[in-house]
Amino acid sequence: MIAKKTEKKSGVLLNNPIVKAIGTQRLIALLALIIIYIVFGAISPAFRQYSTLVNIFDASYYIGFMAIGVTFAITTGGIDLSIGTVLVCSSLVTGALATKYNVPIALTLILCILIGAIFGLMNGLMISYMGLPPFIATLGSMMLSKGLGSIFTKAQSVTWPQATEADGWFRSIFKVNITNANGLSTPIPTGFILLLAVAILMAILLNKTRPGRYIVALGSNIEATRLSGVNVAKWQTLAYVISGTMAGIAGIAYAAVYSTLLPGGGAGFELDAIAGVVIGGTSMSGGYGTIAGTLIGVFIMSVLKTGLPFIGLQTHYQQVATGLVLIFAVFMDVANRKKRN
Amino acid sequence: MKKKLLSVIMCATMVSALVAGCGSSSSADTTTDTTTETKTTTDATATDTATTDTSASDDMSIYIVSKGFQHQYWQAVLKGAQEAADELGVTIDFKGPDTESDIAQQVQMLNNALNNSPDAIGLAALDTQACLEGITKAQQAGIPIIGFDSGVPGAPDGAIVANAATDNYAAGELAAEETYTLIKDKISSATATVRIGVMNQDATSESITNRGSGFIDKMKTLIEADGKTVSIEGHDKWENKVEGANVIIDVAVPAQVTAELSAIDAQNLLNKTDTICIYASNQHSGEGLINGDANLGKLGNSIVGIAFDSGELIKSAVKSGKIAGAVTQDPVAIGRNLVELAVKAAKGETVADVDTGCKWYTANNMDDADIAPNLYD
Repeated sequence: MIAKKTEKKSGVLLNNPIVKAIGTQRLIALLALIIIYIVFGAISPAFRQYSTLVNIFDASYYIGFMAIGVTFAITTGGIDLSIGTVLVCSSLVTGALATKYNVPIALTLILCILIGAIFGLMNGLMISYMGLPPFIATLGSMMLSKGLGSIFTKAQSVTWPQATEADGWFRSIFKVNITNANGLSTPIPTGFILLLAVAILMAILLNKTRPGRYIVALGSNIEATRLSGVNVAKWQTLAYVISGTMAGIAGIAYAAVYSTLLPGGGAGFELDAIAGVVIGGTSMSGGYGTIAGTLIGVFIMSVLKTGLPFIGLQTHYQQVATGLVLIFAVFMDVANRKKRN
Repeated sequence: MKKKLLSVIMCATMVSALVAGCGSSSSADTTTDTTTETKTTTDATATDTATTDTSASDDMSIYIVSKGFQHQYWQAVLKGAQEAADELGVTIDFKGPDTESDIAQQVQMLNNALNNSPDAIGLAALDTQACLEGITKAQQAGIPIIGFDSGVPGAPDGAIVANAATDNYAAGELAAEETYTLIKDKISSATATVRIGVMNQDATSESITNRGSGFIDKMKTLIEADGKTVSIEGHDKWENKVEGANVIIDVAVPAQVTAELSAIDAQNLLNKTDTICIYASNQHSGEGLINGDANLGKLGNSIVGIAFDSGELIKSAVKSGKIAGAVTQDPVAIGRNLVELAVKAAKGETVADVDTGCKWYTANNMDDADIAPNLYD
């Protein structure tokens, strides 16, 4: 199976070395992203505004962090359905700690990530040591996190401190407003830099380090990896811990952009993230993962989501469009693979 | 017969176990647990005698099925209901679905309520059609249903004995009247078409659609009275297109009730160059409007923002002038009237609808004694 991956690189549609380096599906996805952006911009002048770009970034942070994390789970050949509700749970709980129990914001941010990591660890242990199928294990923790978040907050919504308040400083992690002499403020999407930095770190972890290579290997063939003396349970667990941790970070990003968290929400976020991963070219059957592709996939969805209303289509059409893009992306991958065989 | 009785008792026990389980996971406060316990005993007596004892209000139980818990608005309703329940010595059980899109979950809650044979049911239906079966069952069992918040519009005659609700259509009209005074000059001096955005969380629940309709109809009347033409666009429910109209009322309804989709709807309206005003018809849409403006900064500058209800985000936006004004309901009065009506109805007294009222608030009067208690965080 690992050999097949190298084969994939040589058997692509175009034999151009640059294309080979980027990978066909990623290249198609990137081109699609650019084309969608240009088409929207050509139709709607308002879409070309700087503020729209910042809106696209805003809408992509929480999905982006979740998608980077779940790329690891999917690369092992598994899935993590709990990330959406874990995002809401960790952000709800820590938001309530900050606003109702006066816990310092810095501590709540760390706790938010930690809660995500704990759910991830739980998923990992259930899957690798208890042998539960990933779909079932994470479905369980999806319901668990949804319920626990509601219980902790007594089913009330939580509004994180606003930017104007002293405790609202955490929002500047994702956006800094620079006010010029005329009193006009320009938002700087610092969250994008953070997202990019995390993506690069995670890409290095996945592709260039020993744990990352083990995750890829066990996703390709878990028995062969086990027989070659690798502690597969440990590395499989790690993949879910990363997934959970990133969901925790996504919780902070969501709070920074949308302020209010509703208990019971979050189910469905994970599907947006998973769609982004798949559009980006990560194989659902495991053994191959690409963080760069994931990021491109996430932005395709964000651009569609934010952009469709600009060309006169309501947000309902975004779901139709994303569905079509998802099917097309996977079809390209399948067709490509067939051609090679 | 004995078999039947046994199975009824078993059903009741199972359902109360279910409710007890639900109660601990989604209860709004700790008192609900004890409420459920007492309910189990009243259930047993109710099943034995097969009739509801209405002589004393001491052991009276009222089941309240709301639209959800998440928004602080419902906490204020619960507060009012609890106060009235304590005064009247009745127990209430306050339930609500996870989100305001979970119609199926609410139907199940209504059915659970019926299986517990309470003395009265309070219902704020997400969708009347979906609740119809439960409503009919309640009618057959002789359990009075009191509508609250948006009530149960379009229910069969006599099924809903009374409503404790804001007249949402009138509330929408109030918003339109107050808004019109703010944008009148802009409309009369405009040389090209101007646009008024309306953000509705959904097009199914009666409270939301009535607030939208009240606003749209009144705004249309006011504008036409000043000799301008109006075209209503954006959503089929309200669509009334007029070519070359002076004012476009643009209605946006998101695909799902989520913060990000509402923010995108708001951004779309804010980005249209001819928009002069946006009205958001509930707390969720209001928050979407404020979030959507985060990178644009148009609210309070080139665009007048109007909201509904309160909550931290909306309150601080009104204070800072981003939102010019908002309509608040009186959720505490809704809860209080609901329980009072329910007790009366359970005792067999005649009851009539109560309009719990609404008020317009701005940065200037939001701290006044008659406004402040209605604004929740």
